[in-house]
Amino acid sequence: MTASDFDHLVQPHRVHRRLYTDPQIFSTEMTRVFAASWCYVGHESEIPEAGDYRTTTLGLRPVLMTRGRDGAVNVLLNRCAHRGTVVAGEARGCAKRFVCPYHGWTYTPEGRLVAIPFPADHPAEDYAKLSLGRLEAASYRGFVFATLNAAPEPLEVWLGEAREALDTIIDRHPGGELAPMGSPQLLEFAGNWKLSWDNAADGLHATFAHHSYNTLGEMVDTETVLARDPGSTPMVSKALRNGHMVVDQRPGIPQGPWATMRNVPFREPLESRLAAAGDGDLLDLATGSMLNLSLFPNLIFVGNQLLVVEPVAVDRTRLQLWLTSAPGAPDEIDLLRLRVDEDFVNFGTPDDLDMFERVQRGLGVPEMEWIDMSRGLPDSAGDAEAGTVSGPITSEAPQRRYLAHYARLMNNPAATRAR
Amino acid sequence: MTKALESAVDSASAAVLARYDELAALLATMGDRPRCDPDLSAVATAALLHEARLLDAGRFEEWLGGWTDDAVLWVPLSAPAHPGRDQSLLLDDRRRLAERVEWRRDPAAWGQQPPSLTARVVGGVEAWPAPGGGLVARSSLLIEEHRHGRRQQLAGYQVHELVGDDLRRRTKILVVAALGTGVRNPSFLL
Ligand code: FES
Ligand SMILES: [Fe+2]
Repeated sequence: MTASDFDHLVQPHRVHRRLYTDPQIFSTEMTRVFAASWCYVGHESEIPEAGDYRTTTLGLRPVLMTRGRDGAVNVLLNRCAHRGTVVAGEARGCAKRFVCPYHGWTYTPEGRLVAIPFPADHPAEDYAKLSLGRLEAASYRGFVFATLNAAPEPLEVWLGEAREALDTIIDRHPGGELAPMGSPQLLEFAGNWKLSWDNAADGLHATFAHHSYNTLGEMVDTETVLARDPGSTPMVSKALRNGHMVVDQRPGIPQGPWATMRNVPFREPLESRLAAAGDGDLLDLATGSMLNLSLFPNLIFVGNQLLVVEPVAVDRTRLQLWLTSAPGAPDEIDLLRLRVDEDFVNFGTPDDLDMFERVQRGLGVPEMEWIDMSRGLPDSAGDAEAGTVSGPITSEAPQRRYLAHYARLMNNPAATRAR
Repeated sequence: MTKALESAVDSASAAVLARYDELAALLATMGDRPRCDPDLSAVATAALLHEARLLDAGRFEEWLGGWTDDAVLWVPLSAPAHPGRDQSLLLDDRRRLAERVEWRRDPAAWGQQPPSLTARVVGGVEAWPAPGGGLVARSSLLIEEHRHGRRQQLAGYQVHELVGDDLRRRTKILVVAALGTGVRNPSFLL
């Protein structure tokens, strides 16, 4: 792949189907996009104590997030320095030492090799060279990101304007406390990972793809957040630098988020209890912020979900759905969140999954090369210079801008390395 | 708010938690049960096979009619789990079960249009008398699903609490391993 390939494949108004179907492009993305960007790997609240760990992937690479004895968070390549075995096999746990199951090499939670059984052949000075690979890691208010980029920009610079939206999402929780619950739901679809990205700031599809969700609302006289006329709603979508995107639905729902919810199971007693305690105004916390934020390339805030996008193959993607709790709020809020969250996962998400798979099948047609992304052009020039574009939610500016960022990453590969 | 009203509110929300605890306990203690009651197991088998037949045939309205008013269908992501502390795929009361049936009939509910073709294999049915009358049954479940030319097979088990002479479903817990490891569009699960 040469430096200009992606100028052809990603044009201002259209992109080529190969982005979604070419296995070679996919494998290049795993390094140039995923390994070279800051990716979300977990939340600090998941590993409160020294030795706590959790595993995930970053661009197909098995990754291990640990809490060290000094309290610091480490993000390591979950790959033994001996012959390459994945060292930690569980999704999460607590370990003073990580012992490789193959030949027993033993590492600290910081990734340092401390024991090799039958060590006669290994001079002591080898130990320092044979640690687990490290990623550069940084957290922002509990959210841990990591990268293999050899010279990454600081996390906060990379977040840029997206920081404001992230702060808003965190700060609506009492005490600024927010924590993913237990373990995620894992949903897979037979489609390319970018389909979920194309969809994350797509304000128009709700009217069509989520028609049945809106019908359920109409049956009980509830105007769901997705039922607003996309052509006239004051909701805004924003394309930010570095491929980040925002859809701000708040201006379109003047009665607040709670008014957009149907009666989820066991709603009434919990709602009455909050009202009786004088906490009725907290009910909006039971729904999402209505500020959808996507941090390219793998973290999407929607509802009270952290949606982590895990590419598996060019035509296969796994979504990790983490429900977040509000530990500083009255218990009723999290009890409601559980049921509120299921509502869209059951009656909305299946639409999205089906659209992703339909698109992937359609993109298998070689004779039709292009995907049109021209809605809302031209982007205003001043905006484009600043790197951000905002507009009505019917505009495809967020898709165009994240793909332009993607093309830059693909055209100009950054060096990646393990520390 | 008067004192009487306040305590009514408190007891209503306590009832929610009590139902959640009851569900969690039912699931958690399933493995500790003694050998089943063979006669009751035969009775339960007939009810469970009938349910599987209705679901595979898409006779959702009839299926909906077989639930009690205080029904709960719970699909946790793994077991053990608690409906008030852990994310679930779904926890439906009677109202949402009815919505689900409406949704299955909506031609624009793309997640199930066209609908999944399913074949459920229910086996290993064990039943015990339930404390409040009725019975509790555990059974193994294998579902083969076909949709859009693809198939997936999900394995798990289900726990039913069936009450009254007509063995209405008061509780059903469906444990499907793949929900915690990676499943394709699970919206056919009931
Ligand atoms: S591969 Fe890990 S000890 Fe040999
Ligand atoms: Fe959607």
